[in-house]
Amino acid sequence: MTNANSKMRRASRGRFLRFPIVILHSCFLTVFSAPLAAGEFDLAIASATQRVVKLYGLGAGVQVGYGSGILVSDDGMILTVLSLLIDARRLRVVLPDGTRREAEVIHRDSQQQLALLKLRPPVHELAAPDAKAGQPGDKEPVASGGSTGALRPGSFLYFDLHDGRPVSNVPDEAARAEAGGSLSPGDWVIAAGNAFKVAEGAEPVSVAHGVFSALTRLDARRRVRDYPYRGEILMIDAVTSNPGAPGAAVVNLNGWLVGMVGRDVISNLTHTHFNYAIPRETLEESLREALTKPETQPSDSGVPREVADPSQSEMPSHVTSTIVSSAPVDYGIRISRAGYQTVLPFVERVRADSPAGRAGLRADDLILSVNGKSVADVSELDARIKDLSPGEPLDLVVRRDRRILTIRVETK
Amino acid sequence: MKSRRNVKTSKRRNVQTPWLRGLVASWLVASPLFALETATSAPVDEYRTLQPVFRSVVQRLRPSLVRIETVGGAQPPERLPSEPQEEGQGDSPKKPRSQNPFRDSPGSGFVVADGPTTGIIYSSDGHILTSSFNFVREPALVSVTLADGRRLAADLVARDQVRKLAMLKVDATDLPVPEWAPGEEIQVGRWTIALGLAFGGQEPSISVGIVSALNRMLGNAFQTDARISPANYGGPVCNLAGQVMGIAVPLAQRPGELAGVEMYDSGVGFALPKQRVEEIAARMMKGESFYRGWLGMVVDPKVMDALVIGNVADPSPLRAAGVKIGDHILTAEGRDVRHFGQLVQALYMIPAGEDVYLSLKRNEQTFGVKVRLARAAELGPLPEVEEPLDPSSPQPIIVPEGGHEEHDHEEHHHEDDE
Repeated sequence: MTNANSKMRRASRGRFLRFPIVILHSCFLTVFSAPLAAGEFDLAIASATQRVVKLYGLGAGVQVGYGSGILVSDDGMILTVLSLLIDARRLRVVLPDGTRREAEVIHRDSQQQLALLKLRPPVHELAAPDAKAGQPGDKEPVASGGSTGALRPGSFLYFDLHDGRPVSNVPDEAARAEAGGSLSPGDWVIAAGNAFKVAEGAEPVSVAHGVFSALTRLDARRRVRDYPYRGEILMIDAVTSNPGAPGAAVVNLNGWLVGMVGRDVISNLTHTHFNYAIPRETLEESLREALTKPETQPSDSGVPREVADPSQSEMPSHVTSTIVSSAPVDYGIRISRAGYQTVLPFVERVRADSPAGRAGLRADDLILSVNGKSVADVSELDARIKDLSPGEPLDLVVRRDRRILTIRVETK
Repeated sequence: MKSRRNVKTSKRRNVQTPWLRGLVASWLVASPLFALETATSAPVDEYRTLQPVFRSVVQRLRPSLVRIETVGGAQPPERLPSEPQEEGQGDSPKKPRSQNPFRDSPGSGFVVADGPTTGIIYSSDGHILTSSFNFVREPALVSVTLADGRRLAADLVARDQVRKLAMLKVDATDLPVPEWAPGEEIQVGRWTIALGLAFGGQEPSISVGIVSALNRMLGNAFQTDARISPANYGGPVCNLAGQVMGIAVPLAQRPGELAGVEMYDSGVGFALPKQRVEEIAARMMKGESFYRGWLGMVVDPKVMDALVIGNVADPSPLRAAGVKIGDHILTAEGRDVRHFGQLVQALYMIPAGEDVYLSLKRNEQTFGVKVRLARAAELGPLPEVEEPLDPSSPQPIIVPEGGHEEHDHEEHHHEDDE
């Protein structure tokens, strides 16, 4: 701020000297404007778009089946927001160079509403052979490591969450490392993510510019339910409350990560959709917790977990043993999400050969409670099911026509 | 994406000498003085250099920003934008619901929150300017928190439901009044910084944009692509020198206290410039409020290709001016009106109590009338359509073509009651 003050003072002095300045500026513009036509944002945009992935997973109702994630390690760990999206049987990731991969959820942080994903080793059929043509990061030789097969360290450009530094071994970016990840209100920010999934394949994700508006505390809700995250957030004036934007990287003018776009929530203070980012510090905290603490839902509880993909068993050895997978249990229930304000959890479809199908759950049943706890709407149902341990039976009370039924869904 | 040449030059930018940076900053702040240069080119290092300028603007304005908190009140009933043809409710118990189709409507489905809002000091003796949007809940109590932390009870002195301004008064002296930008400095392309305090805390939220257009909303407002929303309605939109260019308000091309909120954060936002604010504020400081203006008529739904009066409320300004069922409205305030929507678009920014000029046609004869718009509460019910008009109604007051001659008929338009 003192710096700004002195600049203002210099500025007001400048008014009295305006004629010489006009001349000086004219020279300045003539000399420098042509080669710098790309503008100030190009470094920030390149930094962000090369470290953001597009996610494609489960969508239902107003929850779209796509989103964004940020690469946070050189071996393919991705941080994103906790949402239904990641509960897909196949969570697909499109890397900045267009390479397609699958990922699995290795940690769910319900407190910060974040999720940590890990890329699976490539499956040959999934890799697009021509995906590297015209890629945005084609000046970055390491990016090609993604499609060679191995999940070796050094494969990915990423953001170091310790300070937000964009990590790479390309010289010009290393030079930028001195610039730092500072952020003050009024500073420019770039948000880079998969908004409206308009960027396909190797196309760089969508970027939006704005300024960091204010540091504030999130007091918000999703539809009728209060949003659990109550920490500090970075309010920005780039519009990020768009489908697919949650999980997008927010960087400063230096291209350093300052935050991640959170889920679309409505502020309780203004009743407007909030354009905000979860601060890097919070992301770092969540990552640290994910890497040091065992998963909140231990998979070594003796209950066998459904393995959705055989490739999962071929987990590379460098993935530490403290990270355990917690793929959600597939009960075979699809919930209808049609509705406006309160969305009642009507069963839309039940797969016949699924646990729910075998238990006798039917389409059009209205779920009233899960394991003794009532569910008022779909989001509460999601929260209840999310809290279940893998293999835990599901005791449902449902209304079918005019009858109330108790149904136990067992995964084994 | 980026060429090697660019990489080199970007390094050069990083080692730019301090005097050069200061120079760029000075150029930016002084830029209002160099309208021509701003319009043609921008300095290449502008974006980085702007950051401290934005911060200094906030620093300069912060002492004049106030946080407004309200207690009590409720969400206004959710209704669609009102049009006189709709079946409506009376504004007062005196009028039976079925007979008065004229009512004030908030004009949006937006649910108004009860969180804090933003205002700006207008006079050193305690007048606070803000947006009427912040009081649509009709709060019982209003308090104002000054930048120095003092929290004071505030009186809602007046409000303008049409231009969406409001004036508060607190008991204080020597308050810091911000500097206002001269009107001629508000030009398309200029940087704008919108400040708000609606998210609590001491530091305002900042949104940056440019002036997108001038003379929007029938010449009342300028448009900006800074994010204007309930987060900063009532707050200032400033230039890079930290001068107030205007007050952010919700506006749309239709009446309604909440009209325009639906465009929040869209990049289409509006602010009332100094000149407009001064006119309204001077009257609001004397306790004068402004309400939506009504003619008190419905159109004849059977006529599709012209704007024909189907019925006239009794009493109403139109009836007082001698306008009758079957008259064609040709223009309103100099704008051609062929259907009801165009009539609304010609008049929606004019509050009750102000005169509007209509030209009408009856039996192939055209004539002009000056009509003083009324508040909804001043309008009577619509008579039965078959009922012939009262023969004692005054004859139309003819205004010469384009003439704005003063006709002293306003005093007796309330005497028109039978």
